Parts: sequence; C-alpha cells; structure tokens
Amino acid sequence: MLKYWIKNVLKPSKGSKQDAVKSKHQALNEPINASLASTLSTLKKKLGQSPDFTIRDFSDDPEHAGLLAVCYIEGLIDPGLLSDLIESLVKEIAHTPSDRLEEHLAASLIKQTLPLGNIKRIDSQNQIYQAVLKGSAVILIDGLQSALTVSIAGGVRRAVEEPTSQGVVRGPKEGFTEDISTNITLIRRKLRTPDLKFDSHIIGQYSQTVVIVTYIEGIADPGVVQEITKRLQAIDTDSILESGYIEEFIQDAPLTPFPTMLNSERPDTVAGSLLDGQVAVMVDGTPFVLIAPVTFYNFFQISEDYYQRYDISSFLRMIRLISFLVSLLLPSLFIALTTFHQEMIPTILLVTLAAQREGVPFPALLEALMMELTFEVIREAGVRMPRAIGPAISIVGALVIGQAAVEAGLVSGAMVIVVSFTAISNFVIPYISMATAVRLLRFVLMLLAGTLGLFGIMAGIVPILAHLLSLKSFGVDYLMPYSPMYKSNMKDLLIRVPWWAMKTRPNIKSGSNKSRQAPHQYPTGSNNIARRADEPEPKA
Amino acid sequence: MSQRNVIRVSELAIAISLFEVGSTTLFFIGGEAKQDAWLAMLVGALAGLFLLLMHLSIHHQEPHLDLFLLFRRYMGKYVGTFVNLLFVGYFSYESSRNLRDFGEITVMTLLNRTSLWIIMLIVILVVSNSMRYGHIVMFRICVIFFPIMLVSYILISILIPVTGLFHFEFMLPVLESGWKPVLDAALPEIVSFPFGQTILFLVFYPHVRTGKGLNKAVITCYVITALALTFINQLNIFVLGPKIALYSTLPLLETVQLIDLAEVFERMDALFTMLLFLGLGVKMGAFFNGAIIGLEKITGIAYKKWVVPVAILIYGLAFLSPNYTHHIVIGRQLVLNYLFPVFQIVLPLLLFIIILIRKRKKRTNRSASEKT
Repeated sequence: MLKYWIKNVLKPSKGSKQDAVKSKHQALNEPINASLASTLSTLKKKLGQSPDFTIRDFSDDPEHAGLLAVCYIEGLIDPGLLSDLIESLVKEIAHTPSDRLEEHLAASLIKQTLPLGNIKRIDSQNQIYQAVLKGSAVILIDGLQSALTVSIAGGVRRAVEEPTSQGVVRGPKEGFTEDISTNITLIRRKLRTPDLKFDSHIIGQYSQTVVIVTYIEGIADPGVVQEITKRLQAIDTDSILESGYIEEFIQDAPLTPFPTMLNSERPDTVAGSLLDGQVAVMVDGTPFVLIAPVTFYNFFQISEDYYQRYDISSFLRMIRLISFLVSLLLPSLFIALTTFHQEMIPTILLVTLAAQREGVPFPALLEALMMELTFEVIREAGVRMPRAIGPAISIVGALVIGQAAVEAGLVSGAMVIVVSFTAISNFVIPYISMATAVRLLRFVLMLLAGTLGLFGIMAGIVPILAHLLSLKSFGVDYLMPYSPMYKSNMKDLLIRVPWWAMKTRPNIKSGSNKSRQAPHQYPTGSNNIARRADEPEPKA
Repeated sequence: MSQRNVIRVSELAIAISLFEVGSTTLFFIGGEAKQDAWLAMLVGALAGLFLLLMHLSIHHQEPHLDLFLLFRRYMGKYVGTFVNLLFVGYFSYESSRNLRDFGEITVMTLLNRTSLWIIMLIVILVVSNSMRYGHIVMFRICVIFFPIMLVSYILISILIPVTGLFHFEFMLPVLESGWKPVLDAALPEIVSFPFGQTILFLVFYPHVRTGKGLNKAVITCYVITALALTFINQLNIFVLGPKIALYSTLPLLETVQLIDLAEVFERMDALFTMLLFLGLGVKMGAFFNGAIIGLEKITGIAYKKWVVPVAILIYGLAFLSPNYTHHIVIGRQLVLNYLFPVFQIVLPLLLFIIILIRKRKKRTNRSASEKT
C-alpha cells in the first residue's frame, strides 16, 4: 500500500520529464558560431555577469587582435598551469601568419605545442559552458566552428587528512577528500593494476556532478557493475550533492531502515572491498564513497580487523555483533522483565530494583522512553553545537541524564545504567548507517515490550528478521553467508581467519577470479634459522 | 525456476526438524501408555517413517509436481480440485489450531490480563507478514531459529540432570501392562500428531534443489528429530512422573520451571515459552504457506493475493472452540483419530496406489506396443 502510494503520489508526472529532456536536447545541439565576436558575446551574456568568469582576447596584439580568446573561471583553475598555457599560446601565435591561423593553429596546438595533456576539441555551445564550469580553459579561434578545451583544473582543495568518522588505531591514516581526482589517486596508489577501472558518469542537471564507478575487472561481478551503471544512468535529477543522494536513488529496497550500501571515507576500506569483488561509487564533492553489494556482516568488519592479529580481531568482531544486539534489545528486554516477567530476575536483584523504583512515578516504558529521547537530544546537540561549547553540553548531559534525574526521582538508577550502556553499545557499531537503523528500531521494540512484554519483543523481532531475509543488495542476499549458507564465506564472518588461510574471495559477491593467493602460504617459522644456529661454526 | 526460489536440501532438512518439534513439546504425548510413552513415541515415529518414505517415493515418481498438482493429475480435474480444497482446509485448520495454542499459552503463561483475540491477532499479523515474502523466507527463518532451538533444548536436557531433577525410576517398570496400551496410544494418535504431518512437505519437495541426498537428508533428519522428541517427551516422565505428566496442561513448561541453577537461573519458563513460540510459529507458518500455495495452484491467482484471505480464514477457524479444554479435547482426541488420518494416510496412500497402477499400465502398454 505504502509502495503504491509512493509510486503514484511522489513520482513526477510524465509531461514535465519530457519537457526537460526536450529543452536539454536543444541546448546540446546548438553549434558554435564561426565568428569569435558573436560567440564571445553569447558567452558574456550567459556567464559574463559573474565576477570570476574571465575572457582573455589578446586585444593588445595588433596583428592578432580579435582572432583568438581564452576563457575560464578564476577559482576553478590552477594559476600556474594557466600561465604556462598563455605563454605557449603567445609563442605559437607569433610564429603563425595571421591569414591561415584557424585550422593550422588548432591542429598544431592539439598535436604538439601546448605543454599540457587532456586537450579536446568540442563542437557545441553547451560543451563550452560545461568545460568552463568544470575548470577547463576554452580556447576560441575566429573562423573555426569548434573550440579547444584544456583541462587546467585546480583551485582550493582540502588536503588529505585523517578520517574523522572512521578512525583506526593501526592502519593508514589518510582519508578521502571532497575532490574526486584526489580520491582516485588515493585508490590508485593502493591498487596499481591496469584492471582497476573507473567509469565516469555525469549526473544532475544543475550540479553536473561527476560520479565514478570503480571496480577491478575480473574480480568484480560484471552483472553487478552493469546493474549499478544502469541504475546510475536512470537517475534524472537536478543535483547530486552527496553520495547519500545516489544511495537513495539506486538502493534495492526503497523502504528499509537497513543500509544496503556501505559508505566509507577510508581508501584502504574501499581498496579491500574492491579486492573482495565489490564495486565502489565515488561522488565528486564528498569524502564518502559508496560500496555495493554489501551484506549485513560487512557493517561489522572494519579495515583494522585485517591489520591486527586475527585472534583479537575475531574477538572484537563478536563484541561488535553482541553490541548490535544489546543496542537493539537491552532497553526493551529490561522493560519487559521489570514490567511483565519479574520472576525471571534473581530475587535479590529484584528487591534492589524495586527499592530503586519506589519513588519513581512512571511506568518503566515511559521512564525508558524519556531517558532514550533525552539521550538522543544530547547526542544531536553534541554533533551540531559549535566546538567551543562542547564541554558545557557534556557536563549538562552527564548531570541531567545521570545524577540529577535519579536524585529528583524521575528515573531509577538501573534505568540510567541500561540507557547509557545501550548508547555506548550503539557507538561500537562501526558504520553510522547501521547504527542509525538500530536507533530507530529500538524505539519500536521498546513500545512493544512495554505493552506486551517478551511476547511483544518476539512480535517485533520476527518481522525484522523476515525483512532482513528478504532484503537484497544488488542481487546479493543481505544475510548472505549465514542464510543462505555459504561455508566458504564463513571464514571472514564471526571470526577472521589468518591471512594465510584466507585463500578465496567471498564467492557470491565476486566474479570469475576467486583465488586470493597461492596455496601453501602458511608461515614456515624459524626452523631454517634455528638449524643454522645449531650447526657447528665453520672452521676458519 | 530461478536459483533464488530454490530451497536447499539443508534448509529443507532444518525446516522438517523444526516443524516436527513444532508444537509437540507443548503436550505430553502418549500419556495413555504412562511411563512407556517413549515406546509409544518410537512406534509412532516408526509408522511416521513409513509414511515419510511413501511421500518421498510419491515425490520421486513425479519430481516436478507438488501435492496439489499430483492429485489433479491422477484424480482428474474435478475430483482433484475437490481433494485439493480439502487439503487447503486441512492445512488451514492445522494452522488455526497452532494459532489457538499460541494464544492460549500466551494467556496462560505470559500475559494473563490480555484478551485472547488481541494476542491471536498480533500473531496472525506477524506470521502473515512473514508469509508475504514467500516460502523461501520461511525456510530461511527456520535456519535462523534452528541454532536457538537446538542450543536451548540441549541446555534443558543438560540442566535437568545437573540440578538433580532426573528420576530414572519413574519410567520403570517397562511394559507394565504389555504392548496393548503402547500400541493404543501410538496408533493413530502419535502418527497423526506429530509424525504424519510431514505430508505438508510434499508441497515443498518440488522446490528443493534437485540432486542426490534429498532422501538421505530428510530421513536422517526425521530420525534424529524423532529420537530427540522421544527423549524430551520422556523428560516429563523423568521429572514429573507419569501421573502429573498426564494431567498437566503444559508439562514440559512445568518441568522447566523446576530448574534452579545457583539462584540465578531460576524460573526460566518465560524464556521456554519463547522457545515454544518459535516452534509453534514455524509450524503455523508452514501450514499457512501450504494452504496459500494450494489456493494459488487451484485458482491460478497470485500467491501474494491469498495471504490476507487465508490469514482471515485461519484467524476465524481459531475461534471454533469456546474454551481451551474444548479445543484440546477436539484436537487431541477427535480429529487425531478420525479426521487427520484421512489426510495423512488414506489420501496419500490412495494417490500412491493410483500412481503405481497408472505407471504400470503405461509400462505394460509401452511394452505391448513395442512387441507388436
């Protein structure tokens, strides 16, 4: 029913879409006028009002005035590259007689003279705007029905810094930035193989955002790459400002609290996923790269698991899964036990709990809801507030949520423990998108537990399970290696086996190339060295 | 059929196991045989095994047809459709009995002040929501529940002897009054419930990934489950003794209540009720699914459209009995002896015989035509 409603009410009417397509086509087809003056005047009309749009037409040079112009947007280009470009242009013009400037100049510029790569010839008016707005310099020549674009993109960029949302103790400290070419470089530096492919798409009528699909040919499943490409090409919207837009447009199930794409700002995580046969989608303007297809368990594997010793990694992974369950269930279980099934609590503890609750006027459900909501408010304040007043919030939070609420008789001490432990467990889930899913579902389960006890929790969990089981991420079952069961994929699930034992890639997500390493990688140990020590020293 | 809708053999085996456990642990089975309930269980299980073998051989005669299509193929369009409708009714009724059990247990143990109809409404909503996704999700839910059930029942079986509740002498003397009460108890009650209910899986066998090992997996799993059930059933005797076990409403629940380990793990009955819920839910869902698939096969209307009507039907059927005693008397004495054997033994046997006769006729016809 909800789906039906969304399809019919939220979908735009067909007419408006057709209009948009038509006008787009007209603009694309408009050719470049051979007369430089007229082209420049159109450009000025369209872009000339903005102070950062610059046209250099060499009007001081008497011989070549009015024959040649270079235009670009100041903030989007690299000034050093621009001066190189102008310098060589001036040199070239000086060598060329003015009467046969057009074709000759264009040809020689493309072929040899310019000290820069990535020169393209374009034919339509619209392409000029696009090139200029992307940070290229456009060279317009009088009498020529085309123009040259030279990519000299530059401008202000954030440096590569440590990721703020996904930190590690051991492992690379660099994170993605907002600039997509930097991000490509970061991945390339980790995977120096020609099989690493970057397929570029431009999405968004106004934002013209570069979206790049990255995968390793032979390791990624070509079907998944095709499907992602198809879904990306189907997007027709005005702007893509963050990868979250893309995620909502292309995910499998539009109505699910669970994320079916993973986002990471760590190049090593992305490189590892690519080696697992997954596909990454990078979006210009955001450090968060999407990874698909993912399974539920991917949200509990972090890159550090593979850098640390395998025993502690396995332990931590189990801790994370347990934290997931705790964060989902602890408040509702506490409510259910204290309200409906007191007999299950050991008697002495029950007496203590009852004594604590003596002065509390609210039922456990209300108490828990109040505390959880308060915590959510404090948490949101902690994210949004200006950094300078951070300590104030934490003091108020600690006092309000902790001591004062108990002393005022609003909540019981045990409830404070439950709520804070739940909150801390929620932070253990490494990916925020999964943690938020839990945050929402927790409230539903709390309401059910408060009204129907354990029975209610059961009635809440079974639909969640059924939903998870039916969920798919780009054709891969969400609970994949467990249900349906794939034994070969289990070695990187609850436990992380040592690297020498990890012989294959997760086979459902990947394409033809399954084997990760040569056989017999078991470390031989120091037998050889030891034997050398036992040998008698050679006589001199 | 796409890879996606194929049930794996392992998933089927796990589902059969959970299905057999289902609501069986709710009751004390074979009470008439008193301390020899285990013998009655074994006899019933053996008879059930023969039924299962018959189902499997029916399946191997026509590996691509399920229960409903088989009847239509071999009994003609009209008789076949009629039998199919009967089966849909039977599955819905079994499902509704589980729903009623579910509701009654909840009222008895967990939520004493909540009305029965609300609880049953929630249960039917939850179960039909899971049915919406089709049979494959149901089988996968079984895979998720399986370890929980396995560990819990093993834990119960360990905790009872450890906490000194185990009285082996309660099951002596063996065969106090001969084989007669044992056989009386076993046939046909224990065959009808729980062992003969495997007839339902004739609906699902055609969806299982083809290959060897189906027979082996199904039979192994059936035998192990039957033995485990026998043991768990006998736990009632070991702990409560034959008299209390016979007259108690929820004997295993009472048994579990007695477990008290180090003053921390006491009164585990609420958790055990959850376990009963899992079994009941799986069984109810399986029958529900069978009924929906049946209606889909009979009418040709898509699976999803039948979920709500069948849910309403099951919900309505669950109110047939005015109270729990009536429900139990009907369920444990009437239908087990007179109604269920028709569906579990008579009709499949008829089908099996018809298939064999037809096949033989075809073979003789073919050999006759080859000779001439």
